[in-house]
This record gives sequence, structure tokens and C-alpha cells, in this order.
Amino acid sequence: MKNFQKLPIYLFAALTFGFASCESEDPVPENEGELITDVTLIFQEIDAGGNPVGTPFTASAVDPEGIEIGSSPTIEPITLAKGKSYKMTINAFNNIENEDITAEIFEEADEHQFFFLGTAFSSNILGIEYDDPGSIILGIRTILNVSASPTSNNGQMQVVLRHDLDKSFPGATNPNFANFVQAGGETDLDITFPVVIND
Amino acid sequence: MLHKASLCLFSFFVLLGSQLAAAQSCNLVLRGKILHLENDDAIEAAYVWILETRTGAVSDQNGNFVIRELCPGTYTVTVQYLGHKEIRQTVNLTGNSTAQTFRMEEESLDLGGVEVHGHREPVQTTTAVTSLYGDAILQTRGSSLGESLKQVAGVTSFSTGNTISKPVIHGMHSNRIMILNNGIRLEGQQWGAEHAPEIDPFLADEITVIKGAETVRFGPEAMGGVILVNPPALPTSKNSTTEFHLIGATNSYMGNVSASHMGGSDKIKGLGYRVQGSAKRAGNVKSPNYYQANTGMSEYNFSGSVGYSSKKLGVETYYSFFNTEIGILRDSHTGNLSDLIDIINNGEPFLKPDFTYEINNPKQDVTHHLAKLKSHYHFNPNWKLNFQYGFQFNNRQEYDKRRGELNAKPSLDLDLYTNTVDLFLDHNLKANWTGSFGLNVIQQANSNVPGTGVTPLIPNYDMFNGGIYALEKYLKGPLELEGGLRFDYRTVSAARYVGEDLQTADLDYQSFSAFVGGLYQLSPYFAFTSNLGTAWRPPNVNELFSQGLHHGAAAVEIGDPNLVPEKSLKWVNGLEFEHNKAIVEITAYANQINNYIYLNPTGETFTSLRGTFNVYEYLQADAFFYGFDLSGSYNFTNRASGYLKGSIIRAKNTDEDNYFPFIPSDRMDWGVSFSLGKKENLDSDRITLSNVLVARQKREPDFDLAPAPPGYALFNFGYQKKLELGKNNFNIGVQVTNILNTEYKEYMNRFRYFTADMGRNILLKLNYQF
Repeated sequence: MKNFQKLPIYLFAALTFGFASCESEDPVPENEGELITDVTLIFQEIDAGGNPVGTPFTASAVDPEGIEIGSSPTIEPITLAKGKSYKMTINAFNNIENEDITAEIFEEADEHQFFFLGTAFSSNILGIEYDDPGSIILGIRTILNVSASPTSNNGQMQVVLRHDLDKSFPGATNPNFANFVQAGGETDLDITFPVVIND
Repeated sequence: MLHKASLCLFSFFVLLGSQLAAAQSCNLVLRGKILHLENDDAIEAAYVWILETRTGAVSDQNGNFVIRELCPGTYTVTVQYLGHKEIRQTVNLTGNSTAQTFRMEEESLDLGGVEVHGHREPVQTTTAVTSLYGDAILQTRGSSLGESLKQVAGVTSFSTGNTISKPVIHGMHSNRIMILNNGIRLEGQQWGAEHAPEIDPFLADEITVIKGAETVRFGPEAMGGVILVNPPALPTSKNSTTEFHLIGATNSYMGNVSASHMGGSDKIKGLGYRVQGSAKRAGNVKSPNYYQANTGMSEYNFSGSVGYSSKKLGVETYYSFFNTEIGILRDSHTGNLSDLIDIINNGEPFLKPDFTYEINNPKQDVTHHLAKLKSHYHFNPNWKLNFQYGFQFNNRQEYDKRRGELNAKPSLDLDLYTNTVDLFLDHNLKANWTGSFGLNVIQQANSNVPGTGVTPLIPNYDMFNGGIYALEKYLKGPLELEGGLRFDYRTVSAARYVGEDLQTADLDYQSFSAFVGGLYQLSPYFAFTSNLGTAWRPPNVNELFSQGLHHGAAAVEIGDPNLVPEKSLKWVNGLEFEHNKAIVEITAYANQINNYIYLNPTGETFTSLRGTFNVYEYLQADAFFYGFDLSGSYNFTNRASGYLKGSIIRAKNTDEDNYFPFIPSDRMDWGVSFSLGKKENLDSDRITLSNVLVARQKREPDFDLAPAPPGYALFNFGYQKKLELGKNNFNIGVQVTNILNTEYKEYMNRFRYFTADMGRNILLKLNYQF
């Protein structure tokens, strides 16, 4: 019983300890590890034998702030020539952390896939097939065939990157698979590039 | 609607009044409370007897008793309770009914360890209160706290799928209600819609819901109501009790075990302890036609308590640990707005996997520690000093599906430390005045654990809140009156980096709050309560500073550091009727809230490389909530009975003249029970058939991702058998919920956008007490 007379002292000690251990930490800047700020499409014209012709050119979409509110992304148009074929390579980059995201996507090829939609494909302007190394279906590398007589010389190409999807879902081997949502997963990239076809 | 109802109530009183006038004189009531002299805790099962009339009553959980149908005159009342000195008192009943508090003194003689007296704090309030205990709580075993409380009329749940559920009292939840774990206000990250209370329902043997504004007693945020989760009282003598629960369910193949043991010391009188633990594991939830992907969960909890009580001094220490890992429906995490629209249009998930116990990203991992030290000291029978200190540590980790190493790292990782101190002085002067003066302090520190690879949704912050209050209650005849006043001061200091910019904010808030309430025993069978209370709630950190993407909702949410505190005035009226066969309780309330903070869709969208998102901002507007709860039961025969519970809530943004989202729709739960037991023990076998009816929410906000789902009806079945094996009790329960495997969506479930609710579930519940 006598011990209880010291109770206030114990209480005070416990309280002091409790309160002292209870300051919030100083905040630290967080590395936005997963962010994609730059998406670059690299086009290399190829001949019928698949050999490169001329120098490659690019079209890129840039959003320096990532997902922060403020600016909208800047998207460059894609300019292609009638009746030609191109090898298209997609490069995704995190400019804030200076990190190559393409390599990460490639490493997790079993969980990722690009789909290509929009009027450029639906109105017979462009055709596309997967051409990834090792015949995996991913879409980092594709072959684009421009129609010799396109219905229009303007169109749109929507590039969608899906993550955590069921890649064996019926129809998902088609790069133009419009119902990609049915294969599950979520969208990591969704960019619509204007397409211009020159003679 | 309100006018109609008040008219209704009015005519009811007129009717009552005329009845009273015409009634015979032998309709007086002696009601009161039986408390321990040493600590003012309620005594349950004390025996009150009137010698002259040979009538009596037994006090309930809160120490209350009622003896009805007394004629005016002078009576000798005796109050008896094991281990306590008998009280013999003369009571003079005149024209009015009388309320009397009896305080029983513990006898010092050694009774050989038979007596176990209650140390439960009676909820001394005149506002609407409902408690779940005994059989009612036994039936909820295996459910989360949020689901368990749906038993109470006026309480619904705000859920995220079928594993995350938050209680809603009269349309309010999260930071607008308060949950107390054994007397300590639970402080997790309760602002989040998908953040369920970090509490093991198995630690409670009684859960009490207070539906009024209780800011004065409990502090800011207790605006919509308070939920008290209380473990059983610690034993004060050598007498041990052990209890096991074993529960299995067919839906999600859920298994749940719990064990508790309590006892007291033989050598040191008044020393008691209790330990309790539970574990729960469940896999994918099954909707009628498919499994919901990644909806498994696991939970491990532990609590322990040691206490000592003597005539003058009481000391109790308590610790509880809560840990849960919850899988989040895979398809609910959408990448952007068009994903979200696609799945909403689909009406059900795209992914329909097989059953598994595996939990993948997206998921939550939450740990909560709570430690408490409580002490009281009696200076004399009239004055008692109480001290309570609580320490809490909450860690919440939320994982999203991410690329590479980041997938193993949480996207949200928050450490929240909370200290609470309560110091209050209770008094009871003569028999008529009781009250309390006190102060309480909350100090809180929130830190983002670095390394998430995501700009934090809420900043690091330190919060301090100090409050002083006084409450007083007056008891005379059939009347009980109470009132209270409180002043609070709060400071919040927040800091975070957005990119490389350091953003800081220092804010402070202060406010008075007050309440008045009363209880009046109108007639032997009717009691009327009314409580009018103001409340306030400073804006929460997420409302002030949120900035960023809310994954599940494909939404960008923007906080506003200039928000001002919400202030409310809630009026709760209750009418209770209790006669031989019938019990009816009606609660009517109105709650005016100025500067109600809500998340408003701006109608704008935001485009990034990831796609498009809806933009939401935190706004303030005046709100008016009102509604009714009804609950009643009737015994048709001694074997057959029926019950009915229902609630109606209306909530309106009176500035914009439109409706708030996620307000519960009208609902009703009714059922019939049959007792099949032998004559001497009717309730040993009991079956219950019930029906839940939920209307469509017709009062929808101007903007919602999907229209409110249609109304639905569910049928449930229950069977309860009690076996007495010597001195031990064995309870077997079988419950079937959603018997018809009806496919439905509940408006208050945020995952109604993605999936149908849970299908049929058969539960087997075994409980052994010895």
C-alpha cells in the first residue's frame, strides 16, 4: 500500500516519457519512384526486308510535374508517310528521379502490356503488330504499317499501358484489343497522340 | 416530415396526458440507480424490494431499476446485493413518481471469494443510449465492430467492401463520432473512409452507443455520437472465469477464435487481472455469382489488464494490441477515370478468380497499440478524483500494385502517436446533485515514414488539444436534469515536402460547447428524454492539406487550409415505453451543422500521362440532419416474440439545396423468435427468422459516379442453444445470413461501384464459459 504514495511520481515520469517520445518527425522530400514524366515514341522506317531506312525520329509526351495538379502534358504529333512501315519503340522515363522506367516494364513483362487504339487504327490508317524481343507480347517494340491509301491523313493513336492484367485473356494478344479493361489490371499510361500522314 | 412527426409526438402526449388525468392513483413509479459507494460504479443484479407491497425489481447493467404501479404512501425499501450492507430506507411516494439513488457499501467480511462486483462506469447521460451485451453481443461475435453495431436502431455502417466497415450514427461517421476503447478515445487515421476502427470486438462484453452530441463529456469530434467499447469489469476476488469462442463461416471460409481468462488474487483482496486474445482469418468473399478478387483478411489481437481496488483507491492498467492485414478488391484500384467508368458500367468486377486465402496488393496493414493507466481516489463518500492516461501508437501501411521493388513498399506509411490525459473530480451532494469537473489533454504526433516513393497524402503534424469542463446533474422525483459546459483550445502545426518545396502551416482553434438534458418519467410505463447539445469539430488534417491522387476513386482531392471549425446543435428526444409484453423506444433528432465540411466534385477533370481524373475539393456549407429511430419488441406468448427496428435519416446541404453523398437510406429490420426450450428454461433453445428491408436512396447528391443501387430485402435465420454443463455454459449458435443468396448492392458500401455485396453465409458459433 505504501507504494501507492509514490504513484504520482511514477505517473509523472511515465507522462514525461510519453510526451517526449511524441514529437512528429521532420518531413523529408519523397522520391516519386513510380512516376512517368516522359514517354518517347521512337520511329525507324524499315524496308520490306525489315532493314532500317534513313534516320530514326521521335514523338514525345511530357508532363514535368507528373500527377501534380497544374500543367497538362505536352504531346507532340506523330508524322508518318503513306505506304511505309516503321519499327516503333516506346521509352518511358522518370525525369524527376532520372530513372528509366522502360527497363522496369521490360523486367515485369508478364504483368504489363501496351494496347494501341484510336481512329488511326479504326479508320484503316495504320496497322500494328507486336515485335518485342523474344516474341513476348508487351508492346515496347512494335511494327507500324501505314496504309498506301488511308481514308484520311489525320488520326489519333491512343497508347495505353496496362499493369497487372490477365495476359492470357481471350483477345488480349491483339494490340488493338479495345476491351482491354476486361482483362483486369489498371492503367499506368494513357496518352493520345495526333497522327499526321504525309504523301 | 419533421412537422408531421412532431405533430405525431404532440398528439401522443395529449393522449398520454388525458390518460394520466383519468388514471387511478396507483400508477406511481419508483425508479432509481444502485451504485457502489466507493466508486459510483453501477451494480448489476442488486435486488430492490418493497416490503409493504411485496413487489421488487432487479437492477440492470447500468444499475437502473424500476418498480411500477405503486399507490401513494410510505414504503420501506430494501436493497440487497451480495457482499454489501443491506440498505433499508423509508420512501415517501406522493403524487409524483420518485427517483432515488442507492449507494451500497461493501462489507468487509470475507465471503470466501464468491462476490465479483461490477466496476462498470454507468453511462450517466440523458441522451439516447443503447447497449449491446449478453445474448445480443453473443450473436454479433465474428463480425467487425462496424457490422456488430448495425444491431442498434439508428446505427448503420459505411463500408469499403465486406471487410472494412465503419459505424455511422445518425448519418455521421469517421471524425464526427468518437469510439472509446475501455475509456480511451481511439485515435487511428479515422478520417479515411476505408480506415476501419482498430479495435477487437471480442474484448468487449458490452458496447454502448450514445446518439447525442457529447462534446462536453468527451471532447471535440463527439458531434454525432459516441461508441463505448468496454471489457468486463476486473474481478476483485479469487474467482476465475475462462471463455472460448470458435466461429466458422462458409462465405470466405472465415475462421475466428477467441479466448479470455480473468481472475483475482487470493492474497491481495481487490487485485484482479484479465487476458484476452483473438485471431481471425478469411479468404475471398463470395458475392452470389463470383468471388471478389483479393478480399481476404487476417487479424490478430491481444489485450490484458491488471487492477487493484480498495475502499478508497482504485488503479487499473490496460494494454491492447490490434493488427490486421486486409486485401482490397483488386478491380477497385483503377488507373484513371476511364478505367473507373468501364468497371462501373460493367456492374461487377472483370476479374473473377477462384477462392484463395492469399492477400496481395492492394492491401492495408494496420497495427495499433493502446496502453492505459487509470486510477481513482475517494476523499470521502461525496468526492472522488479520477485520473486516466492513455498512450496509443498507430501504424498504417497501404500498399498499391506497383512496379519493381516499389511493390513491396507501402504507398502510404503513417506513424501516429497519441497521448491523452483525463483528470476529473466527481461529486455527489446529498442524494440530488451529482457532477464532475475535469480537464483533458490530447497530444498527437503524425509522421510519414520516408521511403514510400509517393508524395504524402497528409503532412507530418503535431496537434495539441486542451479542454476543461463541468457537468452537473439534478435528480428529484420523476425528473432528472443535467447540463454542462466546456472550453477547448487546439493547435495544429503541419509540415511536408511537395517535390522540393517545404510547406508548413500553424493553425489554432478554440470553442465553447454546452448541453442541457432531462429525463422525465411521464407515467409508470413511459419515460421521456430530451437532450440539446452544441458540438464543434476543428477541420481535420486531411481536409486541410490533402493534395494528391486517391487511388481507389480515380480522384484528385484538394484540401483547404482556410477551413473553419464545424459547429453543430443537436437535439435528441427519446420516448420509452415498457409494459408487460411490449417495449418501444422512439428517438427523434435534429442536427443543424454550420460549416459542415464535405468533399465536393468540382466537375473538372485533370489530365496526366496516366489519363484523366476527377477533381474533388473540400468545401463548407450549412447542413441540416434529422431523423427517427424506432425499436420495439412484443411477446405474443411466452414462447413467441417479435421485434422491429428501423431508422430514417434526412440530410440536406441547405446552402446549395442539394443532398450529401453516403447518407444511409431508410431501413428496417424485423423478425420473429420462437423459444423451444423446456418450460423451466424457455430460452435455452431459440430460433429467429428475420428480414432486413432497405430502400433505395432517392436523395442522391448532384454528382455521383453511379446512381444509387435499388432497394433490397434480405432474409436471415438464427438458432441459439444454451447448454449448462454443471457450472459451465456451452452456447451453440447457427446463423444464416442472406438465405436466398440475393444479389444486391448497399448504397453505403463504397465498393457498390465495383461489385455486388456478400452472398449467402452460414456461420457456426461455439462458445464455452467456465
